Amino acid sequence: MKNDKPKILIIDDEVGFTKLTKLAMPDFDICEENNSTRALETARRFQPDLILLDVVMPDFDGGDVAAQIKADPALTHVPIIFLTAIVTEKETSKRDLFGGYPFISKPITPEKLAETIRSHLPVGEG
Amino acid sequence: MQPDLLRAEEAIRQSDERYRKLLASVTDYIYSVRLQNGVVVETSHGPGCLSVTGYTPHEYAMDPNLWHRMVHPDDRAGVVANATEMSLGKVPPTIEHRIFHRDGSIRWVRNQRVPHYDANRQLAGYDGLVSDVTSRKEAEEKLTQTNGRLREVLASLTKSHAQLKATQMQLIEAEKLQTIGQLAAGVAHEVKNPLAILQMGLSYLVGSLKYEDGQGLMAMKEMGDAINRANTVVGNLLGFSAPEQLDLKDQEIERLIRRSLILVKHELNTAKVKVAINFASHLPSCPLDRSRIQQVFVNLFINACHAMPDGGTISVNALSHRITQQDEAGTARHSGVRFKIGDEVVIVEIADTGTGILPEHISRIFDPYFTTKARGQGTGLGLTVTKTIIDLHGGCINIGNRNEGGAIVTIILKARMKDEKR
Repeated sequence: MKNDKPKILIIDDEVGFTKLTKLAMPDFDICEENNSTRALETARRFQPDLILLDVVMPDFDGGDVAAQIKADPALTHVPIIFLTAIVTEKETSKRDLFGGYPFISKPITPEKLAETIRSHLPVGEG
Repeated sequence: MQPDLLRAEEAIRQSDERYRKLLASVTDYIYSVRLQNGVVVETSHGPGCLSVTGYTPHEYAMDPNLWHRMVHPDDRAGVVANATEMSLGKVPPTIEHRIFHRDGSIRWVRNQRVPHYDANRQLAGYDGLVSDVTSRKEAEEKLTQTNGRLREVLASLTKSHAQLKATQMQLIEAEKLQTIGQLAAGVAHEVKNPLAILQMGLSYLVGSLKYEDGQGLMAMKEMGDAINRANTVVGNLLGFSAPEQLDLKDQEIERLIRRSLILVKHELNTAKVKVAINFASHLPSCPLDRSRIQQVFVNLFINACHAMPDGGTISVNALSHRITQQDEAGTARHSGVRFKIGDEVVIVEIADTGTGILPEHISRIFDPYFTTKARGQGTGLGLTVTKTIIDLHGGCINIGNRNEGGAIVTIILKARMKDEKR
């Protein structure tokens, strides 16, 4: 049976956060990746509709991973939303802080996260 | 002529020459004055008078008023007053005054007079000692001028020192802000990540709870509130962030204040607080980061509401002003050198009719984590962030008490210069 839930890849070194996000958001098909060096490989395999990408991570940071994904012809179209624990919620309207990518501030409720994801999913995926 | 005679004449000539040289170098001489019915009738000046005054003893003997005429007109009254003391039976104090030398130059003399009286205790005359103190007076004058110049240099150095100190304070402040900003970003990351996990976990648990478990839901709600509160504290910490995050644009301060009042409308209504606005007409615009300055006013309005639990009035005044020398000294003293003379500024005053601030709290009011509010009501960072924002704008903020009661906050922000590009 085809899984028609939007496929979300969440790349974040905080294992607790990715696990609980998956649990709290059953309406999405969530794939967790906690190691940024494996992010590109996981993205190629999972073929997500949208990627949630942490900013501060060991090895490759969010910016590095975003560049790798955008450089891959099979993934370049996939929307990326940065997840960050640095900026405040008020600042999330300043898109230029993260090279024009949308970003959301942690902590965030599953409802708010779902709403943000749906607003950035390609038409027909939400 | 006999050789002995010639030798004798030569010896006399040499002796005369030595005597003239000696006399020319004399700077002190004695004189006597004799009076009759209070009028000078005879004076007798020692030979030294020639070098000091240019006049011979004979010339003084021939003209009893010669000395009086030589006294500098500006000093004449003092000399006469000094002489009058003698007619009152006193020994006058030593006086220093100017005289005109025969060659037209001005000389300073010290004149000490000792009176003597006749059998009827009438002033019969006096003896005096005149000393030429011109060299000393000139040296004193030069010293005074040098002192004056030194005082000017000292004043200039003191001013430079104050400016340097203020600049140093600003640099320290900037460095401190940068350090705190970096620290805040680090703390934010380390705290917000676990908060994110708690938030997700809590949301999951809330979704799993049965609706009839009222107490469980209440506990979850409390936990959710605690997460929000912790997140607010971290968010306030991030208010310390570096200056480059300011998004300066020309703003009408009146509009920003009115918008901020709309944002706190609910708090104002709940606290039964009225607002009285008094803006001067034609206020100049200021280069401001709109959201941060609104954050400042929102913080201040909420603080004012908290200070008036039984209701009251917030008065908001705004006016423009050009910085004067007096203002410059004041702002330099209180907040570092922020404005120059001639700068146009906008002054905003926010006064409340609340409880005011305890004098011992005023110096700590901007310190991080200092709060007088009940636990959970304030983070102790609101005014710290407020001051940081104003500092980042190059403005200054002061808080004090009003004589009529309540607190008053004064914010000074630099206006856009007329020739600055919009």
